[in-house]
Amino acid sequence: MIKVTDSFERIVHWGLALSCIALMISGLGMMYHSFNFLAIPVGGLKYLKYVHNFIGLIFIVSVLFAILMWWKEAGILKFPEDVEWIKVAGGYLWHVDNVPEVGKYNPGQKAFFIAVALCGLMMSVSGLIMWFPLSLPVVWVRTMYFLHALGFFIIFPFFFVHLYLGTICSPGSASAIFSGWVTRAWAKKQHPKWLKEMEESGQLEVYGK
Amino acid sequence: MGSNAAANHPISFKYVSKAMERGAKMISVDPRFTQTSSKADIYAALRSGTDIAFLGGMIKYILDNNFIQEKYVKYYTNAAFLVNPEFKLPGEKDGIFSGLEGHTYNKSTWAFQTDAVGVAKKDMTLQDPNCVFQLLKKHYSRYDVETVSKITGTPKDKLLAVYKEYAKTGETGKAGTVMYAMGWTQHTVGVQNIRSMAIIQLLLGNMGVAGGGVNALRGEANVQGSTDHCLLYHILPGYLKTPLASQATLAGYNTANTPTTVEPKSLNWWKNYPKYMSSLLRAHYGMNATLDEAYSYLPKLDNGKNYSWLSLFDAMYRGKFKGFFSWGQNPACSGPSSNKTREALSKLDWMVNVNIFDNETGSFWKGPGMDPTKIKTEVFMLPCAVSIEKEGSISNSGRWMQWRYKAVNPPGEAMADGEIINELFHRLRDLYTKEGGPLAEAITKLSWNYGPMGTDCKIHHLDPHSIAKEINGYFLKDTEIKGKVYKKGTLVPSFAYLQDDGSTSSGNWLYCNSYTEKGNMAARRNNSDASGIGLYSEWSWCWPVNRRIIYNGASVDPDTGMPWDREKPVIMWNGFKWVGDVPDGVAAPGGGRPPFIMKPHGVGSIFGPGLADGPFPEHYEPLECPIEENLMSPQFINPVIARWDEINKNGIDLRATCNPKFPYVCSTYRVTEHWQTGVMTRWTAWLAELQPDMFVEMSVELAKIKGIKNGEQVIVKSARGEVDAVAIVTGRIKPFEVGGTTIHEVGIPWHYGWVTTAMRKYVTGDKKPEVFTSGDSANLLTPFIGDANTMIPESKAFMANVEKKGV
Amino acid sequence: MTEKITLCDLSKCIGCRACQVACKQWNQLPAGQTHNSGSYQNPPDLQPNTWAVIKYQEISDGNGGVKWLFRKDSCMHCTDAACVKVCPSGALYYTKYGTVGVNNEKCIGCKECVAVCPFGVPKYDAKTDKVFKCDMCLSRIENDMEPACVKACPTGGLQFGDKEEMLKAAYERVEVLGGDASVYGDKFVGGTHMIYILPEKASVYAGLPEHPRVPLSVIAWKDWLKPLSLLAAGGVIGASFLHYITHGPKTPDEDGDQVNTKGGE
Repeated sequence: MIKVTDSFERIVHWGLALSCIALMISGLGMMYHSFNFLAIPVGGLKYLKYVHNFIGLIFIVSVLFAILMWWKEAGILKFPEDVEWIKVAGGYLWHVDNVPEVGKYNPGQKAFFIAVALCGLMMSVSGLIMWFPLSLPVVWVRTMYFLHALGFFIIFPFFFVHLYLGTICSPGSASAIFSGWVTRAWAKKQHPKWLKEMEESGQLEVYGK
Repeated sequence: MGSNAAANHPISFKYVSKAMERGAKMISVDPRFTQTSSKADIYAALRSGTDIAFLGGMIKYILDNNFIQEKYVKYYTNAAFLVNPEFKLPGEKDGIFSGLEGHTYNKSTWAFQTDAVGVAKKDMTLQDPNCVFQLLKKHYSRYDVETVSKITGTPKDKLLAVYKEYAKTGETGKAGTVMYAMGWTQHTVGVQNIRSMAIIQLLLGNMGVAGGGVNALRGEANVQGSTDHCLLYHILPGYLKTPLASQATLAGYNTANTPTTVEPKSLNWWKNYPKYMSSLLRAHYGMNATLDEAYSYLPKLDNGKNYSWLSLFDAMYRGKFKGFFSWGQNPACSGPSSNKTREALSKLDWMVNVNIFDNETGSFWKGPGMDPTKIKTEVFMLPCAVSIEKEGSISNSGRWMQWRYKAVNPPGEAMADGEIINELFHRLRDLYTKEGGPLAEAITKLSWNYGPMGTDCKIHHLDPHSIAKEINGYFLKDTEIKGKVYKKGTLVPSFAYLQDDGSTSSGNWLYCNSYTEKGNMAARRNNSDASGIGLYSEWSWCWPVNRRIIYNGASVDPDTGMPWDREKPVIMWNGFKWVGDVPDGVAAPGGGRPPFIMKPHGVGSIFGPGLADGPFPEHYEPLECPIEENLMSPQFINPVIARWDEINKNGIDLRATCNPKFPYVCSTYRVTEHWQTGVMTRWTAWLAELQPDMFVEMSVELAKIKGIKNGEQVIVKSARGEVDAVAIVTGRIKPFEVGGTTIHEVGIPWHYGWVTTAMRKYVTGDKKPEVFTSGDSANLLTPFIGDANTMIPESKAFMANVEKKGV
Repeated sequence: MTEKITLCDLSKCIGCRACQVACKQWNQLPAGQTHNSGSYQNPPDLQPNTWAVIKYQEISDGNGGVKWLFRKDSCMHCTDAACVKVCPSGALYYTKYGTVGVNNEKCIGCKECVAVCPFGVPKYDAKTDKVFKCDMCLSRIENDMEPACVKACPTGGLQFGDKEEMLKAAYERVEVLGGDASVYGDKFVGGTHMIYILPEKASVYAGLPEHPRVPLSVIAWKDWLKPLSLLAAGGVIGASFLHYITHGPKTPDEDGDQVNTKGGE
């Protein structure tokens, strides 16, 4: 088994992921009247708003850590390999004989990181302002409402694809973020270049074979 | 003019608004641009205290351009009457009329010329130099537009615009009205202000017609009732005169007060005076005394003495009073020169404060500047009920009496005023019966059938209906009039049936007809209007005898009886009788009876010799004024006003005229949100929220000179006192150009007092106050001086200064 | 039910504030401590406990004189109400009269309505964590009575009635007034149910927007982004399912044969 993530990474990821899910559900309950029923378990929309606001604080902290932690590896496109990868859609959409080898994170993952970073920050700022809408001139506050909705519009597709790709679309991926360990076969399939570099530099943590 | 109806009588403004929708033009003349001005077709500013100059200019304009309603003027006014040729006008006498002796006028030269029989001589061509019309012309020839503009500070074009528009109502069939209030009355020339307008209305034929009249906007919901029932010292209910000490008998009193006339056809309704007096005495004493005895019980005024507010408080200030009932009033804030008033209260042995809340009067002894250890006055607070906690009636500006009902019980120990008086009466009567005392019968012989009798032969609760009936009056014995027999104990149908022999009673002859065998007329609520001109003759009841427009005999042509205004007639002859409003003593058409039936001559007085300060209004400056001389004449101020500043040399009544310490004209006024001294409204949170603080309004120009910013704290001072206020700097006040000098004017509301809800002691369960007001009374600044005829204080024009607080 | 309009004729308003107090009385709103800051206007603006406030304004009349304008500021009851659009709980809702009702029990204090109202009407109260505004006396109009303010107005400056009737009266009055007079309210936000008759140009009145509209950000958010978000979410879930059943999962090579159950890799 290969170690791919350390505990700090996983804690930040899950903090971000769980808070994001909770925010999306609670946000949904407030955004659409037909979803108002989502407030019932917490005793009403007023409390749902508290849930959303306070979990938002967790989200903000998580996203800041996430950005600080991953921006070097996941936030910068490497040329020319990332462009080549994009051209073939990573082999996910049609059959590709040889998927170009990319670093620890592929451009798809990088796109997701950038989306989460930017939208996450945007959601944080707009969310805070929406929490205290009387503190700024209304023209700014109104823009925030739009941006917050836009953020969801952008994040949700990325999030779902990330969920899909991290679970049923790529079996073996989930353990990377749950236990932090993956099989050598998975690593070879998904991130061959990274595996080679780690082995050569001697940084690879292996358990068993 | 002289009022601000939109702000202070907004309900009346509903009708002004409707009239304007139908094409009426509204003119607003006020030192300040007010809420009323904001809706006016023409607004003209004038310096406080110069209304007579302004209106005198209008009289000249009307006469010069012949806008008078000629037939009306000839037949319905004394314009044609000839005056004693010895009579001299102010233009010929350095600003005074002939006959001034010291501080009073000998009016012998003011009399009409009469023929051998005593009938006034008249010149119906209005040409004789001694006729009232020509004298009027001569007098107001001095009120040319240039001079008027210099005095009032109103630009000439504005004056002419106002004159031109209003003079249009002189056309036969057209009418104009004026709504006035304290802006006219609260001056040393107050009555003459109103007289000026009365003259204008008579010249234009606007009295006794629909849409005409000189209409007072009364300042309190039932002040009309209080004046009708004569709470003032010089009159008895129904505007009868308080007896003088020299009038020892009822007969002598009646002779002195019953006018006679030899004018043919003049109805001279006051000839019935003795009937009303006798009926009044019966109402007070019933059959417990003869008429002469009853008369002897009435208090009499010392001849020549004045007992009005100013005299009263001056005497109190000198320690002449032991006790004082401050009943439903707040003199510490409402009387002029509050420092003098508050000081005066400290000289009393005892005071009874009957009011719904504590106020600056009851608590005067702990007010600012007072040392309670040095004050011996014992104050009794008797809490009383408010208007909705008792049943009774009120009378409005239109003389309409309306019955009102009780909605809730008064709280705690509070009692209706009538009940308090009832209690007092019984205890006083008991004391007098037991101990005797000077003129004890005046109390012990009073008849008091105003409620159900208890087993102790006392009335413990008043029945307002029995009081109302008493006011209407009863037949005290079976009486036959015009073939009909009226049984003893029945209600008199109208004052025409009152007798002078003591066989009828009536607590107020004017209200006789208000509660008859047909029922409580004041309680009627039929809101249909058969007249089409807004008479609503079956809504409540109006005195006299439900006549809504008095002197309506003047609304028709004297020969033909046709209404001047065919489209809006008040009364009309249908061939047999007058229909429409209750006709006012007018004879059949062509009958020639002059319509102003309460006057001995039956005509409206353009020349008014009955007043203390002149038969024609003449412009005099207010007691305190900003310029050194009267631009109209050498006579600076009204020559016949009582001068306390000359009597009291100790400085409490200090006058400051043309004094650089007090360079600005100051006036007082009201706001919509507060009422009187604010005792009720400052305690009402919603109202206190609207207008929380005492303020002073001043022009942008003045604020610049003094370096005062809008909203800043300032102090307004006069020679008599000072008050803190918030500055409202506004473009609605502009400086006046008076005779070449720039004069600034400021204005302050008089609704505030130093007692606030913040000081009250609260017990558990009391509703806590939400809002506190700030400020003290405007009357701290006003001068202790009054009108020559009525003694109403000159609160509308005096001199003051405004300084930033902390300077 | 027919749409109702409260017609506010500013040419008749005398700034007496009977309406302001009547509103407080009917709705039992408490007063608050105020201070005179140099004007009759108090409280200075609408508040959670002040649902109608008269605004006082002095302007020059162009002739050396002055005009004094009075305006009753209160909820305009828009047909396209930004506040109703954004309210997450439905505390703000359209009534059958076309007015905007307020159900304070449902209000969660998010203050979105406060931020988006083009007229700045709803006001937030920190103590109760709720937003308050005029509801055109719904409890009265449901019982065939006119709103409290209309009843109290002495000059007839306030009238209440069916929409067509009131608009007709408004245009007739503007015809009579002439000059710069205009009807304000029927031409934007779908038409308001508080209609002004303005004797002066709208631009003259302080605090009165000349061209009020539902903010673009609100339209973009509620009319575009919301449905688009649902589409996008549904779309991406659907697309993922489609991808799975057509393209299949990506499995690691070392698990033996390339497991390829469906279609090509």
